[in-house]
Amino acid sequence: MTRASVVGTGMTTFGVHESSLPELFARAALSAYDDAGVDPADIDAFYFGNAMGGQTENDTHLAPTLATEVGLAGVPAQRFEDACATSANAFKNAVQAVEAGIHDTILVGGVERCTPETGKGTGEMTRIFASASHRQYEQPTGLTFPGVFALLTKRHMHEYGTTEEQLAHVAVKNHGNGTHNPRAHFGSETTVEEVLDSPIVADPFHLMDCCPFSDGAAAVVVTSDDSAASFDGPVDVTGVGHATDLVPLGLKPTLHATQAARDAATQAYEQAGVTADEIDFAEVHDCFTGAEVLASEAIGFFEDGQGGPAAEAGRTALDGDRPINPSGGLKAKGHPIGATGVAQIVELTEQLRGEAGDRQLDDPQRGLAHNLGGDAGTTVISIMEART
Amino acid sequence: MSANMDETVSVGYEAWADALRSDRILGVSCSDCGATYGTPISVCHDCGSRNLESVDLPTEGTLYSVTRVEVPPTGFEGPYHVGIVQVGAARVTARIETDADDAPPEIDDSVVFSGVMETDDGLPAPVFTTETS
Ligand SMILES: [Zn+2]
Repeated sequence: MTRASVVGTGMTTFGVHESSLPELFARAALSAYDDAGVDPADIDAFYFGNAMGGQTENDTHLAPTLATEVGLAGVPAQRFEDACATSANAFKNAVQAVEAGIHDTILVGGVERCTPETGKGTGEMTRIFASASHRQYEQPTGLTFPGVFALLTKRHMHEYGTTEEQLAHVAVKNHGNGTHNPRAHFGSETTVEEVLDSPIVADPFHLMDCCPFSDGAAAVVVTSDDSAASFDGPVDVTGVGHATDLVPLGLKPTLHATQAARDAATQAYEQAGVTADEIDFAEVHDCFTGAEVLASEAIGFFEDGQGGPAAEAGRTALDGDRPINPSGGLKAKGHPIGATGVAQIVELTEQLRGEAGDRQLDDPQRGLAHNLGGDAGTTVISIMEART
Repeated sequence: MSANMDETVSVGYEAWADALRSDRILGVSCSDCGATYGTPISVCHDCGSRNLESVDLPTEGTLYSVTRVEVPPTGFEGPYHVGIVQVGAARVTARIETDADDAPPEIDDSVVFSGVMETDDGLPAPVFTTETS
């Protein structure tokens, strides 16, 4: 059943941007207006995500500032923060609001700057990202975010024999997909050897297993099922699941299960009335190569333990039977934290409209987005379908 | 009310940090369902009970997972190992050390609680050392 529809998308390139957060966001928002064919007067509310602007740029209370920038001052505007799952949560709340009849048409978006344009170097940004782990029971050990996903992935390797080569194949595939995405941070291919020869960040992850620090913004216009028919090219949202898991890591019963993703996927599949087998492709949260392998199992694309071999065998490639991250994923497209969740919705919409250019999949009918926050403490799973 | 609040504090973070500085690792155990957690929480995740009591966790355990951090945050000097240690029924996140000529720590290695480190801003963390066989 349709819960809401996406009727317009906009996105900046992901990479390095000098623009301020409001001006960067405006580029995405204005192109979403244009794509939907709406004016600010047609928008009833603004749901927005930014994870770390307070720490990175001393910039908070951003919702009304950004609303003002894009002609929405006066409408209810709210900011969401759930680490890397920030704007997927904004999207979830917007879907619920139009479904419940609270608002009819909503601008949903996210923006973040993470590159040295913020004035912060690698050490400082690494510390800011680590603020999403437990302040008392994890941060004092010097745990970093590559470290968090390294701990998850090392356990997965131990349980199932997943190899560093299999992880490297995820990076190779996503870099390849990124070469077909004009908005991707990285536009170049890589090889398994290049990944394995790059320096270690947190073992088993080499530098080339990690997504980059990126600046960027993404926005979509969400409207009710009833209103969607009056727009060109609506794409329907049929399920949005959202779950949390125990924090810190030591409290999670099975570290590599990423249980919140499994719970959120179960909800989303149930709402949409479909199974994993009926999903044609997915955009998943590959902040690190190991995270994509874990996600591909948590959403039910592969049996537990088969995510690594499937990546190596090419099953998740654009021409594979279970395509994952046609956009290039966080790994190649980039990861401006608060923009990532909505950027996944942008990719789902473009693929389902058949407007994804050189990375277009063969007539996909149904796609899934998996946006994970923190130490797998939050996951939001969205399912979208082409309108027939 | 104040008695209740005191009770909460007795199994909370301050107690955990004080114990750590006295070479003890405190977890909490649920008086109602028996669940054990490696770090204090105020409500039992398994049964919803507030009757959580401090328990001393074993000081010997095995590595459940471990990584070598080579790109540290500001305030830390790498490289170093961070791991999740299985101690009895619970797990704690800790700094993992080895003797200089030892092999790097690996999952399932036996480790012993060997002390406490402290960040620049005064937060303690447990340190475990791999046992030489
Ligand atoms: Zn209990």
